[in-house]
Amino acid sequence: MSKPSDLVQGTLDLLILKILALQSLHGWALSQRLKQVSGDVLQVSDGSLYPALHKLEQQGWIKAEWKPTENNRRAKFYSLTRLGHRHLEKEAANWERLSSAISVVMRLTEV
Amino acid sequence: MRIENWLYTLPLRLRSLVSRNRWDADLDEELRDHIDRQFEENLARGMDREEARLTALRMFGNLVALREQTHDTWAWTPLEHIWQNFRYAVRSARRAPLLSAIAILALALGIGLNTGVFTMLNAMFLTAPTLVNPASFVQLCPRYSGWFTGADQNSAFTTEDFDAIRNHSQTLEDVAAQQQNSALLEQGNKNIPILLASCNYFHVLGIDRPLMGRFFASGECQRGTGTQVAVLSEPLWKHQFDGDPAIIGKTIHLNGVPLAVIGIAPSDAANYLLGGIFVPYTLEPQLNHANDLLASPDTPWLSITGRLRTGSTRDDARAELTAIMNQQDRAYVEREISAFNRTTSLTITNGSFIENPNLRNLVLGLMVLMLGPLALILLLACSNVATLFLSRTLARRGEIAIRLALGVSRSRLAGMLLMESLLTVCIGGTLSMLLAYRVPLLIMDTMAAGKATFVVLIRPEWRVLGYLAILMAAATVLSSLMPIRAAFKLDLLTALKGREGAATVRSRTTSGLIVTQIALGFVLVCAAVIFGRIPGLIKGVDPGFEVHHTLAVPLAVNTSGNNRAKAQIFYSALEAKLLATPGVQSVAYASLHPFNQSPPDEIRLPSQTKGTGQPASVDDVSTSFFSLFDIRLMRGRVFLPSDVSSTGASPLAVVSQAFARQFWPAGDPLGKTIVMPDDRHLTVVGVVADTRSERFGVLDGPRLYTLRGPYDLTGNLYVGFLGSAKPLETAVRDAVKSLDPTQIIAPQTIWESLESQAESIAALSHIILVMASVALLMAVAGVYGVLSFAVNQRTREFGIKMVLGASRATIFRSVLLQAIQDIAIGLMCGVALAEPAMLLFNRLLAKSPLPLRKFDLTVFATSALLLAVVSMIAMYLPAIRAMRTDPMRVLRTD
Repeated sequence: MSKPSDLVQGTLDLLILKILALQSLHGWALSQRLKQVSGDVLQVSDGSLYPALHKLEQQGWIKAEWKPTENNRRAKFYSLTRLGHRHLEKEAANWERLSSAISVVMRLTEV
Repeated sequence: MRIENWLYTLPLRLRSLVSRNRWDADLDEELRDHIDRQFEENLARGMDREEARLTALRMFGNLVALREQTHDTWAWTPLEHIWQNFRYAVRSARRAPLLSAIAILALALGIGLNTGVFTMLNAMFLTAPTLVNPASFVQLCPRYSGWFTGADQNSAFTTEDFDAIRNHSQTLEDVAAQQQNSALLEQGNKNIPILLASCNYFHVLGIDRPLMGRFFASGECQRGTGTQVAVLSEPLWKHQFDGDPAIIGKTIHLNGVPLAVIGIAPSDAANYLLGGIFVPYTLEPQLNHANDLLASPDTPWLSITGRLRTGSTRDDARAELTAIMNQQDRAYVEREISAFNRTTSLTITNGSFIENPNLRNLVLGLMVLMLGPLALILLLACSNVATLFLSRTLARRGEIAIRLALGVSRSRLAGMLLMESLLTVCIGGTLSMLLAYRVPLLIMDTMAAGKATFVVLIRPEWRVLGYLAILMAAATVLSSLMPIRAAFKLDLLTALKGREGAATVRSRTTSGLIVTQIALGFVLVCAAVIFGRIPGLIKGVDPGFEVHHTLAVPLAVNTSGNNRAKAQIFYSALEAKLLATPGVQSVAYASLHPFNQSPPDEIRLPSQTKGTGQPASVDDVSTSFFSLFDIRLMRGRVFLPSDVSSTGASPLAVVSQAFARQFWPAGDPLGKTIVMPDDRHLTVVGVVADTRSERFGVLDGPRLYTLRGPYDLTGNLYVGFLGSAKPLETAVRDAVKSLDPTQIIAPQTIWESLESQAESIAALSHIILVMASVALLMAVAGVYGVLSFAVNQRTREFGIKMVLGASRATIFRSVLLQAIQDIAIGLMCGVALAEPAMLLFNRLLAKSPLPLRKFDLTVFATSALLLAVVSMIAMYLPAIRAMRTDPMRVLRTD
């Protein structure tokens, strides 16, 4: 409910980018997908998604578009931009490096 | 990556800025859509409608907060805050129009005066004179070591130096020379400024189009020919010749030399244009009878300006010109032209005064002296505005408390208050522009009473705008500091309970404001008192010698070499002629000018060696000097006609009382021997009274009178007369003219020259008086404002005191006493501020005869009294109001 901490916020950004890289989604669908992939790890309210989404949009990594949906409704669909793709690649690479470094360290302590 | 990012998001940000409302609506729709979908999902899972709705809302989180958070991620949020603050500031300014108007007016006045004077100083001192391609304009400033006095000195160029630079310089494509001088126009009795200039002067300055007629042709500066032409400056043409449209071709006389007017120089073609009348520099020998500087091999008199050749830098020019000058230095030694061996170093400046090493300190001092007091006026205006805002802030403390309680951050609150100040300052600053461009003209008009011979071109410039911006920023911060502090210190509980009377401003704050205003006001009133007193001091001075019936006859006679015999004849003929003029009592010569300080000489007793003597000023006078100047004889005798020996210098001396006291504190000076710097031994025959001839109202130091030799041609001629001065001045002038038609002089009594000095200072003191009046008004208004504010704050306290038995007189006294204490502290702070300023001022005026003391008690006492009286009046009304507090009404409101 409260504002996610910086670490979680960073992770949340990355998760959003990753999910949107696969397909464009509207907010609610994205939140469902998020719950699905992360299980209970991400303890944030559904609504916290929106400050994050809007910040990513302001940074130019995702773009939003209103599209019609079922029953004459419309929803705001988010998709990744070219910049977003590049950012995701970079962040993913960083993540890889960090996690492999950490796992090396973890293994060291086990020995 | 960053730039690309910006490029990509810029349209988005701009769109969001323009259509903010649509963005808000979109966000609402988006969030509602999310909750709706969750609601449907919950229904599908089998919840009933109410439960589905509540669950959807709970899962979403704090809708309001999240919407705000999302809103805050948008790029324009800070801008939106500023916009909100701005609208709030406008609203609160409109709610209290009178208060805002006063604040704006005070600031407009404060900022306008500052910017106005700075505009003038900027044009005069800080910028190059030329408007055309200033980057290539240069002025050469030489510094000589080992010349004349031996000490390093900034000086000018000799004619030979000018020729050398003009002929050999490759880095300068144009070289002009000029000298400021003065001369008598026609039969006038006042010198007007003239500029002796080389014929390309205007071209180098970037003025190629005369207002009328033409500028000098290059042939008119040919040495030896001396074409007698003149160019007038526009202001001089307007006030001396009434803008005569047919002036071109007419003949004017400068120092008796006929000159044909060939053109008028426009005054708006350069930042400042010196000189009232421009003449070719080759006319110098004709205009200046006594001194042929043009032909003198080693007298520096010309200043040189020029234009850099394209591709050359100032450094190139400096290197090249230094080489040329050093060659000149060697040539001087080789040709044994001068007894002194000089070494020259050069500075190349952009032609502004501030860059000129000779003037830099003077200019800086002047700027501090002029802008310093003005800064104080602005500070006063700021403290007035701060008082107004402070009272407004406290009046709104309920509103501010509610804002704080609702969770507005302190930084946003400060931003709000800052914006109010900024708005006021901006409006005031804009209004001040109206004033800023009028002030310089007003000042110039007052100073020269419509007779300014040079004009400063006033135009907006980056330095002026920068100065304005700095002033406005400072004013904003200064005027908002106190309200912000008050808002931060707000006690939320009492403020929210609406117990307005319980919250008071600390008395330290109000005292601080009063002290500041009194101190600042004091400094400015001091300045006004000093300057206001000077004209009276000059006229009321008793110098200890006759001033009303002593006529100074300014002669310029060439006494060098071949002309000596001619000069001798001229002088003796003139003396005879003057003595034959009805009304003339006597004529005398003296080497010292009254009210002019000249460096003292070292006088020794026979027992002392060189270097151990004491300084005294030496006046070489003729026998009739003492009777003409009416200087009282105290002991012994003065010089007698029989003392004048035809063989040479007289061995006699007369000393002043101060001299006698200094050299023989106990003994009798008569008959004693003293030694002059040139080792002549003189015997003292008399002691005369001290005079006040160097500085106004100040007794002279030790003074020694020597007897002028019969064949001496030095010294200034004075005529003693009976009756009224005017007809005699004409008679003396005609007598001189009949003997030498080229001598056009304006004899004046010493009193008349004193009066004209007093007049010119009176003009300056008018300006200062106006500024000090503004300051006084602001200080008084400030004291009144602060005090009535404090009294309003303390109404409740007074009410309670009265209920508890305090009499009205006690209340009145307590308010008054507190204020008097503040004023006393303010005055003391004022003295502490004024004293260093006076010291600086004294240093700048050390060479002038103005009587300024280091710690002038009269000035301080007068100013303090004036301020105290005026602020007492300002205090009276609030104190009365405090006394009339109705305890019942006050306490009922609680």
